[in-house]
Amino acid sequence: MTKMDNTTRYERLRERYMNGDLSRRRFLGLLGAAGAAYGLVTPYRALAQEVTEVRFDGWGGVVSEALRKYAFDPFEKETGMKVVDGTFGGSDEFLSRLKASQPGEFNIAHLSGVFDYARYADLGYASELNRDNIPNLELAIPKLVDVLAQYTDGKLSAVPYDYGTTGIAYNRAHISDEEAKEKGANLLIDDAYKGKIGGWAEWRTRVWMAALQTGQDPNDIQDMDAIWDAVRQHRDLALKYWTSGAELMSLLAEEEIYVTEAWSGRVYALQEQGHDIGYMDPKNGYGWQECMFVIKGSPMEACEELLNFMLSPETSIAVAEGQSYPPALDPQKVDLGDKIPELPAFDPTGTLDNLTFADPAYWNGHEADWSKTFGRVQKGY
Amino acid sequence: MSVEARERRQPWILLSPALTAITLLLFIPLVFIAVYSFWLRTATGADQVGFFLDNWQEALTDRFYRDILLYTLKIAAITTILCAVMGYPAAYFIARSKGNKAILLLLLMLPFWISYIIRTMSWINILGVSGALNTFLLWIGIIDEPLQMLYNQATVVLGLIHFLLPFMVLNVFVSLDGIDETLEDAANSLGATRWQAFLQVTLPLSLPGLAAGGLLCFVLGAGTYITPLVLGGPSDAMFANLVFEAIITQLNWPLGSALSLMLLVVLGLLVMVYNRYLGMAQLMKGLG
Amino acid sequence: MAARDSSLGWHLIRGYAMAVYLFMFLPIIVVVLLSFNASQFGSFPMTGFSFRWFGELWNNEAILRAFRTSLVLGLLTALISTTLGVLASLALVRYKVPGANTISTILIAPILVPEVVLAVALLLFLNFLGVPKSFGLLLFGHVIFTLPFVILVVQARLVAIRRDIEEAALSLGASPVQTFFQVTLPLMLPAVMAGALFAFTISFDDITGTLFWKPGGVETVPTQIFAMLRNSISPEINALGTVMIVMTVGLPLVGAAIARQMSKKSGL
Repeated sequence: MTKMDNTTRYERLRERYMNGDLSRRRFLGLLGAAGAAYGLVTPYRALAQEVTEVRFDGWGGVVSEALRKYAFDPFEKETGMKVVDGTFGGSDEFLSRLKASQPGEFNIAHLSGVFDYARYADLGYASELNRDNIPNLELAIPKLVDVLAQYTDGKLSAVPYDYGTTGIAYNRAHISDEEAKEKGANLLIDDAYKGKIGGWAEWRTRVWMAALQTGQDPNDIQDMDAIWDAVRQHRDLALKYWTSGAELMSLLAEEEIYVTEAWSGRVYALQEQGHDIGYMDPKNGYGWQECMFVIKGSPMEACEELLNFMLSPETSIAVAEGQSYPPALDPQKVDLGDKIPELPAFDPTGTLDNLTFADPAYWNGHEADWSKTFGRVQKGY
Repeated sequence: MSVEARERRQPWILLSPALTAITLLLFIPLVFIAVYSFWLRTATGADQVGFFLDNWQEALTDRFYRDILLYTLKIAAITTILCAVMGYPAAYFIARSKGNKAILLLLLMLPFWISYIIRTMSWINILGVSGALNTFLLWIGIIDEPLQMLYNQATVVLGLIHFLLPFMVLNVFVSLDGIDETLEDAANSLGATRWQAFLQVTLPLSLPGLAAGGLLCFVLGAGTYITPLVLGGPSDAMFANLVFEAIITQLNWPLGSALSLMLLVVLGLLVMVYNRYLGMAQLMKGLG
Repeated sequence: MAARDSSLGWHLIRGYAMAVYLFMFLPIIVVVLLSFNASQFGSFPMTGFSFRWFGELWNNEAILRAFRTSLVLGLLTALISTTLGVLASLALVRYKVPGANTISTILIAPILVPEVVLAVALLLFLNFLGVPKSFGLLLFGHVIFTLPFVILVVQARLVAIRRDIEEAALSLGASPVQTFFQVTLPLMLPAVMAGALFAFTISFDDITGTLFWKPGGVETVPTQIFAMLRNSISPEINALGTVMIVMTVGLPLVGAAIARQMSKKSGL
């Protein structure tokens, strides 16, 4: 992407924000009357004369730095509103905090997976976005938007933000590309690598990988016993369940393990550091997306305006380059620069046809049961 | 007001800030948790309010929880004993050294300046297959292949000791430092060997600190969840991991509440025993 | 004393203590080494030497702000917690309180509850009251779970201070308050300092409770690190650790060395 392109695009976007600002003022005037329509608005939010701040929660480090620089600061300058940004260590943890919070306390959250969207929606946290206020949503990959809207009957409570895959990462010094290609997910239960295998301590991923190992459709598993057997088999061969991307990278880089499933962006970061780690998405590999979810009871127009800032190509690309996951923007409509097309899981067609996403209704339906069972299997039961 | 009445009231005045804070910020919230433990988690949506014994039944009868609770107590006990063995001589050294004690103590707390997560993860650089220790052993030729030292029960205990040792040392130090050194010298001059003097004079007098340190190590060791997560293998989970998973991962607050109250009762009983037999009141009697 | 310094037993104890210190320092050595590593991802042998992360740390307003927050939070926690703890310990050790055992157990209770439960429980209660999160809440949360550390260590010391010294002061005409400040407090000062040090470090290093109680826009160093875990922890964090260690160890050591040097010279 040339600098010229950047500047022109930015100017064009600025114009749109000006329009956005007008509608915000109108909104502020109407806020008092509209308060009741929000349902569960807190007293103090409804009484507020003016929306002065929006609360955002997401991942820290490179992600929050990029959002602060490219979205929050320009947004604050543009609108006079303040963005209060907080961080979390995972969407489960954030959900617990949300559950113990007062309505209206949290506004926008960076959540992973369609299943989180569904989970939050099922728990009654979904809001309804007005797409007209988020012109940049037009730039997003349609499939990513549709899969969210489908779950909430055509309404939208979030905008997609980035996507990636959970594939198989392997140390090239010990496992050849051919072997990885041939064995796929079965590498994770290969006796030859006993004690050199890792895995994410997360039930969805474990069940998904087991489905691939037992030759089942991850979104329609028939033989659950076979799944748990495969999970146990993996557990007995594994050295370690990792719980964070930092840990995953460290395990692979220090050659503590040779093979694990891994998040695409993390492997890319390792490769960039010069580590000889291979990465492959097995057939029916695990695709996922992340979204910016607006929680019920939030000041909608302010949030929509902020989302529009966040979806602008500058911000999206900066965040994407920081965390090494491709942005949700459609490469057919937006020039994503040089680095993004090199990221693993990147789809230049913008159709994402080669990725399999978790069916949110299916997975959330089994969440209580499977997460608990995995908790036991994981600990040797 | 009579002197006696004042004497009776004074301790309560001194205690009231701490007790008020703990009542407001701990006990009342715990009542919420107790109430929660009788509710039921539903598949989606809000928890079902009511009086159900299901969570308690599950927590008390399921072998899974009992096994892990016992395992947790075992790990905490091992850690506490090792901390005492490692910490007591170190504390003795600090208390009796002529150097700057404050700096020696500060040095001991130094690892806390580096965040818990970071220093726990840094063991990978020390004990990992390409870590410092293996590199050294390979270099001097003791081993031909790197040893697999990480991610087992021993590394969990190691991580816990590293975390808890300063608590042990500081508590023992504070006790030892308060003992008049001349007592030991007096015992010496009366014909006792140094070792006898230590065993009969110094050790008994330093027991309050050793007991306080031991209690801290045990209780904190039993309540930990990050160390087993980072340094343990697949089956090295401890009880607090179960509580964390129930509350955070499964969002099952009712069950998580029951489990944590169970842990609280077990540890609370231990503290009662400690207070009864080893605690302050008992020791004061012993000291006359 | 000379006998002790040269005895075999003392040498053994000193060697043992050195080994314990080495064990405690191992992770620190790693962190300090990695903070000078040229590449972003830490592994041995190091790929090169660089001050890059110190430069980036200097420019990273978010981490520096979190550091300041942690520092202020830790200091306030230490102050409040130590005050409450010393008062409570005095009451328990120096007075006959009915049910002292039970009260002792109650005061230690905050570390018996898994922190995640304490965190959620406190939030539920505040929701019930309709109180929004604030820095004050975070501070009091920290005070609650640092209090047991202070109480345990101060009590252990107080028990060892003989009552007759205080009584002697009282009988010589000192008021109870005078006695406390001029006799008792100096005697238990090591324990008070140890308690404050505990409270500060535990608060400074706390993650679970802070995660739940922090209000919007407030981050501490541990919560910053926690939120970085998904992607990767920036070596700026290692640099921050090195800076802190240099500040807490280097300055007093240099100060002590200068003082020794000066006294030597004046002695000549």
